[in-house]
Order: sequence, then structure tokens, then C-alpha cells
Amino acid sequence: MSSRKQPKGKIRPPKKPNSADAQFNDNWDRLAQAIREIHKKNASILSFEELYRNAYNMVLHKNGDKLYNGVREVITQHLEEVAVSQVVPAFPLSGASSSQTNPNGAGGANFLKVLKTVWEDHTTCMLMIRDILMYMDRVYAKTANVPLVYDLGLDLFRDTIVRSQNYPIQNHLLEVLLQQIKLERENEIIDRTNVKASIDMLLELTDASTKDTVYATDFENKFLETSSEYYRVEGQMLVGEYDAPEYMKKVDKRLNEEEQRVRHYLSQTTEPKIRNIVEEELISKHLKTVIEMENSGLIPMLRNEKMDDLGRMYKLFGRVVKGHDEMKSAISDYIRELGKAINETVTSNTTAEGGNAASGDKQTGATVAVRWVQEVLDLKDKFDKVQNLALSNDKAFQTSFNEAFEYFINKNSKSPEFISLFIDDNLKKGLKGKTEEEVDSVLDKTITLFRFIGEKDVFERYYKQHLAKRLLLGRSVSDDAERGMIGKLKVECGYQFTTKLEGMFNDMRISSDTMTDFKEYLDKSVLEKPKLDLSVTVLTSTFWPMNLSASPRCNLPPELTKACGTFQNFYLGRHSGRRLTWQSNMGTADIRGSFKARKHELNVSTYQMVILLMFNDKQDGESLSYEQIKGESDIPEADLKRNLQSLACAKYKILVKEPKGKEINPGDQFNFNNDFTAPLQRIKIQTVASKVESEGERKETREKVEEARKHQTEAAIVRIMKDRKTMEHNLLIAEVVKQLQSRFMPNPALIKKRIEALIEREYLERATGDRRVYNYLA
Amino acid sequence: MSQLFSGLSQDFSRLLKDADDYNVIIEVGEGSNMKKFHAHSVILRARSPYFHSALSSEWSRKENGCIVFKQLGVLPSIFRILIKYIYSGTIILDEHQGNDLFEILAAADQFLLYELLEYLQDYII
Repeated sequence: MSSRKQPKGKIRPPKKPNSADAQFNDNWDRLAQAIREIHKKNASILSFEELYRNAYNMVLHKNGDKLYNGVREVITQHLEEVAVSQVVPAFPLSGASSSQTNPNGAGGANFLKVLKTVWEDHTTCMLMIRDILMYMDRVYAKTANVPLVYDLGLDLFRDTIVRSQNYPIQNHLLEVLLQQIKLERENEIIDRTNVKASIDMLLELTDASTKDTVYATDFENKFLETSSEYYRVEGQMLVGEYDAPEYMKKVDKRLNEEEQRVRHYLSQTTEPKIRNIVEEELISKHLKTVIEMENSGLIPMLRNEKMDDLGRMYKLFGRVVKGHDEMKSAISDYIRELGKAINETVTSNTTAEGGNAASGDKQTGATVAVRWVQEVLDLKDKFDKVQNLALSNDKAFQTSFNEAFEYFINKNSKSPEFISLFIDDNLKKGLKGKTEEEVDSVLDKTITLFRFIGEKDVFERYYKQHLAKRLLLGRSVSDDAERGMIGKLKVECGYQFTTKLEGMFNDMRISSDTMTDFKEYLDKSVLEKPKLDLSVTVLTSTFWPMNLSASPRCNLPPELTKACGTFQNFYLGRHSGRRLTWQSNMGTADIRGSFKARKHELNVSTYQMVILLMFNDKQDGESLSYEQIKGESDIPEADLKRNLQSLACAKYKILVKEPKGKEINPGDQFNFNNDFTAPLQRIKIQTVASKVESEGERKETREKVEEARKHQTEAAIVRIMKDRKTMEHNLLIAEVVKQLQSRFMPNPALIKKRIEALIEREYLERATGDRRVYNYLA
Repeated sequence: MSQLFSGLSQDFSRLLKDADDYNVIIEVGEGSNMKKFHAHSVILRARSPYFHSALSSEWSRKENGCIVFKQLGVLPSIFRILIKYIYSGTIILDEHQGNDLFEILAAADQFLLYELLEYLQDYII
């Protein structure tokens, strides 16, 4: 109809000859009678054409208001009658709230059923009345600015039935509705159709003053109030009776039920309101209680990997403001606690080991490190799984977990060393029969731990040491795997971090080329060939972690010294201006030993070779004392002890020590063990394996790191000041921290000291006016 | 959007004339003046709110499967013009002089044919 405009014309159809009031009364009587017949459901005897024409004529003859008021009166009368004869007799007998005498709310249900019928009758009749009074609606109601007849009917129904002044219909209706809902919440089956009919009726009626629905003005608030109270009580009851998973299932169920309830028979506008109430009463108010429930709360769920329960908690608690925050902080605390426990087992292990550290149980140290990393990785895996399966990979949770990991990993001051040892363990040859892919995935995970390390420079130092040993002792599983790992580190920290590591690789490659050339050189030359095969690795001193500037003390056998000389001549002939220093502490040698039973090929360290060769000059049974060996070989004491230990106290006892024991002490005597037997022809005397550093070494590493940090800090200060020329103290500190934090977290006091040192060396000066400002001195 | 109404209008006029498949008989006028019109309820109900209610299942009565509807108070000659308009949307006014015009106007108002009513008001002025 919207496209057809109501004619606003001034010209109206001509009036029919006016037969005055008699005609009106006659018309009205017929109409009033017809409406009564409609109410009696007798419409089939009526003629639409005649009734329409009657109403049309009345409106046409300016009797629209009389007609309108008359209709109002007839409908009101009818509704009054309906109230008395149908609605009031259906009032629930014992009062709606008493469910004891009326356990199933049957009286209430019946009341709703009656009301439903009354309402349906009313709307049906009103539709028919609207049909015959269509002309009145279109012509009279619009100009007189009164409600259309159907809306008039709704208002009359509201005032005469629903909000009757004469009978307590409203009270009964609200009480019955609330009672029905309560019954349903207590798992009774109710007839939703009747409830829905009443709700729909309330939704269709409008409150005159608020223009809102009667549902909103009369029902909704009461419903929300009672729901609030209901769930307040239920919440207290449930937390007392159920464990956390059960509690959450109940809450889930309740939320679901309320949502269904709204969908089935309440207004959608109520949905967020009732949801808020359930969330407030059942979730918000009991957040902490549920999280902290003994044996079933958040921590037990994590401990037992109850992913479904965790997922439910995540979803449920996400509905309320504080929910996820509470979960996050509880889980973070738990991670810290577990991390602390891992750190503690390691510390107690290393301390216990400290007692026999001197006995050189080298494997244990590495094992502790590997176990620590493995446990941290397992923990990481566990929480990655939680994150993935229960927490929808929530970024906020991830951040908070990462912080917790970072916290406890950095609480263990040895973590950089441990992680490097762990990588070492995986990159060493022939270990654990892992495939390359498996190793790669382990290393990928390790990189995630590496990210958490604050002191990346310390890690770098250890990594270099471990890598050096792998390369020099030929224990690296493969170049590809090593390069892969360096590639990963490069991605994390940039090329600066890895240039030296790559330099170490280059040295290895160039050395192998050099050895090929050396062999050719020997073949072609007229010189006397060395009586032994010499293999040399030339290291660039700046790339490698060891102090290579001087040769360690050691008296090498003359044959070897000679061979070294030959190589030195060859090498320096090709690269003038270089200096070679021989690192006898790092080499290995293959020697042949003749024992009583058979001959064995022994693979030993250079030092061990030096020691063993001393026995060549001795008679059977003639022994050498510790002091003699020390004096003759000139090997540094700590190294000497370790190597003697490997020869006399380990698996293969090439030497016999007097007195027996695991420790090497001054005064000990050593004999060549002529009775030595072994199943294999070729024997490898275990060289010093990677291990956790002793306290002394640790201190030394620490000092080296501190020294390196001083340089890096100064370099950063100079770099920044060169660029800015003049800068305020705090800004400079902040900038230095920013530049260095990818390697370590510089302490402001350290930076300040470096600034002072630079001022002393006249790189910087304090500004004349302001002592807090520095100038760069070119 | 192209509006191609003329063919539609002609076809609907023929539908009224041929009364193909009609399901409504409207008896207009009384006694010897009474005239029967054969029509289609869907078209009448779609075009006029009056007929929409009058021919609804609540109010109409069927005889032999056909709705029979008595319409008093309107002359058959006037009703013919209205029903032609209802079907085809056309009306030729030159033929209808003076009083007839007002009769058409009154009937258009009674049957709530707003478009026609507005047109007639403009036409008369």
C-alpha cells in the first residue's frame, strides 16, 4: 500500500441524500450486532458487503467519531465479560508461587492456556472487525489521529485484561510465567507453547507512556531479578558441591539453556541481559574459587593435560572481563614454578657432582645440561599443546607464557651454556640414531629456547667453544647440519652474530685444501719426507674461541717437531707475513702399541702421545713418576692430570698407576701396561668431551664475557655519539641499551663507567653548560 | 528498468472480457438492474484492499466452487468502468460526463482505489 498515497484532495464524493439520525442508528445497530456476532464466532451469517457499506456510509456522513467510540464500547464490554467469565475462573488455585500443592504448576499452565485462547480469539475477531471497518481506518482514523481499530483492540485488551484494574490478572500472569521458567530450570517439562503465547502477547502489546512493549515494562525486569537471585543461590551451591570440570559443565549447560529459552519463548532483546546475569553469578563471582579448586582446578587440569576441560574454561572464562587475565596469571605462575623446579634439580645435581668434579666424570656434566634443556623443551611442548588444543592459540596467553619461560630460563645462569651443550649433543656424530629431520626439528625447538635467553653473547661464546671442539676433533655429524644450525642463529640474531662461526668453517675447508697441496708438495720435493703423516688445521686466531696467540708449553718428540717444521716452511712460503703457533693441546695422534697379547692401534690426544712415547725408552717394569712425566713433557698441570687419567684410570688402562685410584696425585708412579688386552684392534682413548665448565672455567668465561661487553658497550657509545655529536645522558643510555639488548641486557652502571672511560680517553667530553650532556670529540 | 505496460494492460483487458478460468461472480445492483460480472479473485484482491478482505476466506462464500459476491449501492455501468480499470489500469473519461464522473469518484473511494481516486480529483479540477 505504501506506493498508493492517501488522497488529500479537497473534493470528496458527493453525500448521498441525508436520511439523518434514524439512518445512522439503524446502521450502527446492525454493525454493533455484527461485532457481537463476530465475538460469538458467528461471522458466517454476516455479509461483508453490507457491513462495509454501513461503516462506509457512517464515515461518509461525518459520523466517524460516533462509530469509533461505539466500536470501542462494544469491544470493551466484550473483554470485561471475557475477564470475568473466562480469565478469572482460571486463576491458579493456591496462588502461583506455591509449588507444593501444585508441583507441576498445572494450575499455572492451565491459566496460560486459557489466556492463550482468549488472546487468540481476540486477535482473530479484531482482524475481522478491521476488515469491515477498513474505510473507517483509512479515512476517519487517519484524519482524527486515533489508533487504527486493530491497535485500539490491542490497547483495550491491555487495559481490560492484561492490566485489568478490577482483577489481579497481571500478578497472576507474571507469577505463573516466572514459576513456569523456574520449573523448567529445575528440569520439569513445561508446555512451552503456552508460555510462548503469553510472551508473544506481552510483546505485541505496547505500554502507552514508554512506547515500549508490555513485555519490557512489566515482565522483563522481574524475570531478570528473579534469575539473578536464582543463579546467585545456585552458584554458591554448585561451587560447594562440584569439582571444577563438573562445575564448568553445569555452567555451560546453564548458559546454553538460557540461550535456548530465549530463542524458544522469550524476546531476543533479553538474550544479552540474561547471559550477563548467568555470567556474572556463575562465572565472575567464582572465578578464583574455580581456578584454585584443589585437585580439580586449573593447575590439576594442566598437570593431567585435560585439554577439554581447559578448553571449556578458556571459552567460559573468556565471557567475563577478568576471566582470561586470571587464567593467564595462574598458568604463568605455574610455569614459573615448574621452571624453578627444573632449575633446582639441575643445581642440586651439579652441586652433588661438584664433590667429585676433580675425578673428571665428564659425561655427567653434559648429561645434566642435556636433561635440563630436554625438560624445558618438554615443558614448552606441553604448553604449546595446551595453547594449541585448549587456548585457540590466543596471542595474549602466548605472550604471557613466553614471559614465564624467559623468567625462569634466565634465572638459571647456566642456561646459555646448557643450550649450547644440548645443541652440541645433537650435532655430534653418531648419537642416538636420530635422522637428520629429527635432529633438525629438535634444533628448531631449541631455537625457541634460545630466543628466551637474555645473555646471547654468553651463548655465543659457549657455542664457539663447542663448535671448535666438534670441528677440530672431527665429531661434527655433518657440515650441512652445522650450517643449518648457524643459519637458524643467523635468522635470529643477524650475520654479525655468526660471521666468526662461519669463519671457523672456512678455516676447516681451506685447511683441507692446504693439506692436499702439502702432500703434492712433499711428493714433488727432494726434501726428506717426514717419518709420520702430519695433518694440520690452520685456524685464524680471531675466529676461534681459544687463545691461540702463543704455543702452550709441551715438549714434542723430535720426529714431530721436524715434520712441523717442514709444514711451516711450506705454509709460510705460500702465505708470507703470517705467524703459525702450534696448539699441541688440541691435536690427536694415531700410534701403534705392542702389548704382550697383540698389537693395537691407539687413537690418542697429542698430549697422551707425548706421555706414551716416553715409555718407549724404558725397560719393562720401569716406572715413571708423575713429577718425571711433568718435568720431561712440560705439559700444563691440569691438562697433564686429565690425560693421565684417561690413560690410567678410564676404560682402557694403557698405563698402570701406583697407588691405584681415580685421582692423579703428585708422587704417583706409572707403568706401561704390557698385559693390556682389548677385543678391538683399533682403540680410541676417550678424549676430553664437552662438559659443563668447572667453577674456575666458568669464572674465566664470565670474565671474558664481561671484557667483551665492555668493548661492545664502548663501541656502541662511540657509534651513537659519532652520529649525534651531542647527547643527553639518559637518552644516550637508552639508545645504547636499545642497540645491545639483542645480545645482552647492559646494566646502566656499566654504560656509565664506559662513558667515563671514554671521557678519560678523550673520545667524549662533558658539555660546559650542562654536566648531563656529552659531546663527541672527533 | 524498462516499463513495458501496454501489452500487459491489453492482455489483462482480454482476461476480463473472456473471463477465462474465472472464479468469482459479482452480482452488481438489484432486481432487473442486476448484472453479473465474471472475474478472478487473485486480480481483484491484489488490486483493491476492499476486495482483498471481501473475497478472503473469512468473508466469502462459494457456490459450486465459485465465489458469489453481491455488491449493492453501485450501478452496473459504473462498476464496469471500475473493474476495467482494476484489470487494465486504463480509463477513458471523455465518454463519461458530469454526474457519471462523480459516481465513479464515489465508487473509487468506497473500494479504496487510491490511484484512480487521485487521478479523478486532478481530472475534475
